[in-house]
Amino acid sequence: MLDKKRFSRRTFIKGSVMIGGAAALAACGAPATTAPTAAPAATSAPAATTAPAAAKLDLPFPVDPAAMDPFKLDVKVPVDGQFFSGGFGDEYIRYAAKIEEMIHPGLKVNVTALQKVQETLQPRFVSGNPPDVIDNSGAGQFKTVDLVNQGQLLELTELFEAPALDTPGKKFKDTLFPGSQVAGVVFNGKQYGVNVAYTVSGIWWSKTLADKNGWKYPATWDDMLAFCDQIKKGGKYAPWTYQGKYPYYMSGIVWEQLLYKAGGNDVVLKIDNLEPNAWKDPAALRATEAMYALYDKGYIMPGTAGLTHTEAQAEWLKNKAVFLPCGTWLENEMKTVTPADFNMVMNGVPGFADGKGDQKGIFANGGEPYVVPAKAKNTKGGLEYLRCILSKSSAKWFAENVSSMMPVIGATEGAKISDGMKSALAVVQNAGSAIIDVEVGNYYSKIETELELHTGELLTGKLKPADFLDTMQKVADGVAKDPDIPKQKHVI
Amino acid sequence: MKYGQRSFIFTFLFIPVVIYVIFVAIPYVTSMAVSFTKWRGLTMDLPFNGVNNFVKLFNDPNFWNALGHNAIALVVLPPVIITMALIFAFLFTQGIRGSGFFRITFFFPQVMSAIIVGVLWSFIYHPTLGMLNGLLGLLGITSLQNFPWLGDPSTVFGAILVVTVWQAVGFYMVLFITGMETIPSHFYEAARLDGANSFMMFTRITIPMLWEAIRTAIVFLALGAMDMYAIVMIMTNGSGGPSRGADVVPRYMVEAAFTNGEWGYATAMAVVLMLIILALSILSLRFTRRETLEY
Repeated sequence: MLDKKRFSRRTFIKGSVMIGGAAALAACGAPATTAPTAAPAATSAPAATTAPAAAKLDLPFPVDPAAMDPFKLDVKVPVDGQFFSGGFGDEYIRYAAKIEEMIHPGLKVNVTALQKVQETLQPRFVSGNPPDVIDNSGAGQFKTVDLVNQGQLLELTELFEAPALDTPGKKFKDTLFPGSQVAGVVFNGKQYGVNVAYTVSGIWWSKTLADKNGWKYPATWDDMLAFCDQIKKGGKYAPWTYQGKYPYYMSGIVWEQLLYKAGGNDVVLKIDNLEPNAWKDPAALRATEAMYALYDKGYIMPGTAGLTHTEAQAEWLKNKAVFLPCGTWLENEMKTVTPADFNMVMNGVPGFADGKGDQKGIFANGGEPYVVPAKAKNTKGGLEYLRCILSKSSAKWFAENVSSMMPVIGATEGAKISDGMKSALAVVQNAGSAIIDVEVGNYYSKIETELELHTGELLTGKLKPADFLDTMQKVADGVAKDPDIPKQKHVI
Repeated sequence: MKYGQRSFIFTFLFIPVVIYVIFVAIPYVTSMAVSFTKWRGLTMDLPFNGVNNFVKLFNDPNFWNALGHNAIALVVLPPVIITMALIFAFLFTQGIRGSGFFRITFFFPQVMSAIIVGVLWSFIYHPTLGMLNGLLGLLGITSLQNFPWLGDPSTVFGAILVVTVWQAVGFYMVLFITGMETIPSHFYEAARLDGANSFMMFTRITIPMLWEAIRTAIVFLALGAMDMYAIVMIMTNGSGGPSRGADVVPRYMVEAAFTNGEWGYATAMAVVLMLIILALSILSLRFTRRETLEY
């Protein structure tokens, strides 16, 4: 899986939560996140009272009669579900399948856990026999945009307008966190997937270390640089590290948020929509120079470029560096190697006092995209599965057993949430409606690949900010001109 | 009798030929057809694209970059590996004490899969914990402290070539040892009576007598140099980089297909690579042909 490519990194970062973590784990064979599998359905305390799969309709939660069967399922046709199984394990997938079977007595929901989604399922698409629902995540995932461009995915309006399973009186779409169902699942304004896991991506540090030294998290990027200078002069820690061999953590988490904070949605949309000279926008230069300063002033931990994501994160856990960009999957991913006194918390990316974007903005979106193939035999069964997996009951099970979140409103009330997740939710709360959404990498794989590659060069001093933007402008122009690449339109 | 013999041969050949046709010949021919299309890999829709894929390939700097690395491997690997393997084979057939141990030790990397070798060496090259920087530190070379061997485009491919040499030398050493042991010892005795020293015996007797084995090694290594997929994927975490600094054609092909969804284009790349390999094997067989000695 190093075959990273693995993965659509972008979706991973941006959106996809743990997939990354998962892929990563699979890559290193460090099963840091076996927790989910270690807690089989039966042990899940609250849900377990009712979980045993009885064929009779004694449901674990009340369901409105109107919400019982919005898609008019034919229970004789089994549902064929093919799911990526990574950092989250597959117990939560089976839990949702059980809910679906309970609601529709007689229905059989077949769950197959996969590693390499594309390799395994591509022949089925080619032969016109795709499964009914897919967790399209992990290192070997399909590029969702490719599936969309080839007309292979069902548009999910029917699902989004359907009544929610266990939130009475609400439509499915109204039970999900605002902003969580956009990144990587909406193309040309149409909904082609749901993000089942909720991720927030920002900059992490150790609260313990900060308290010990009396540090305060910098409010603006200028403060960040001044603070880094102070740390560097102290000589005890390097100010920054990042997931060296995967520079997209820097481009996808730091650069894109800086871009928004410098230029607001104007510049984001220009870049997403491949407008001429979008990358030459002064805001893009400002964001790039801000990130480049970390290298230029020597704030990045020596050797970072040669480390994998988990290696860099491990160095960070040893307090070799103070700051690390990552998403909320970080905690789970590093669980087995996190020292007891390392209290990791997430902060937003500091912006600019005079920036055009909302300076409280944050990447907070969904990941682990699930899709329903348009040519599946039982698309209704697939839609119903998605309604079940994003039910409150399933989300609660997920929070308690996988220690991650689904983007379902009210599902974690009373559930235990980790400190890292709490800190991330505080950042989201503070951001209000300013959820940043940069899609260019989700739309165009080539831009994603090149952006990562040149970010790596920028952070090792092989490219200067102006050359970086020139190069990216050329890449974007090439994509814009290429008639083989279908174009997307991003509207906010 | 003759008829019986024929049907005997026919039965023996039939199954392998059928398997070969189904699993090798047909896919090859199909991929040649696919390389002229704009196949996106998800449906059976194969829009004809003329020679556009090949034109695009010719103008794609990433392809030339990847091919360039294969070419470097082609120039570097066969001579280095064969020379080292010959030296070791010669040393370990001289009755030196412990040569059995060294033979096994040197052969050992060959037994490990490319994955394991790649992961092991990634640790050796690790900037802070790695053995290489540790050793350099012990030698007092502090300027390379924390140097990311696999994180710098100028060193990453060299670092990978070293690993490839390390893994391959043992196998060819064993191949040559086997060859050397079949050379009749009276050749050497006669040479020694005529006053030849060890070096002359090595160049005048051993190498000519081993030529068939060396030739095999050249062909194998040349073909291997055009591949390098597994080790590059592992050691660059699939990126072929940083900055595509260690990219090879098979890896770039996978990027074109799986990341960019350009299956037709990737197939065109595969066809070009196949033609190059075909030409290479013909050339290397031609140019290494010599009279073999019967004894």
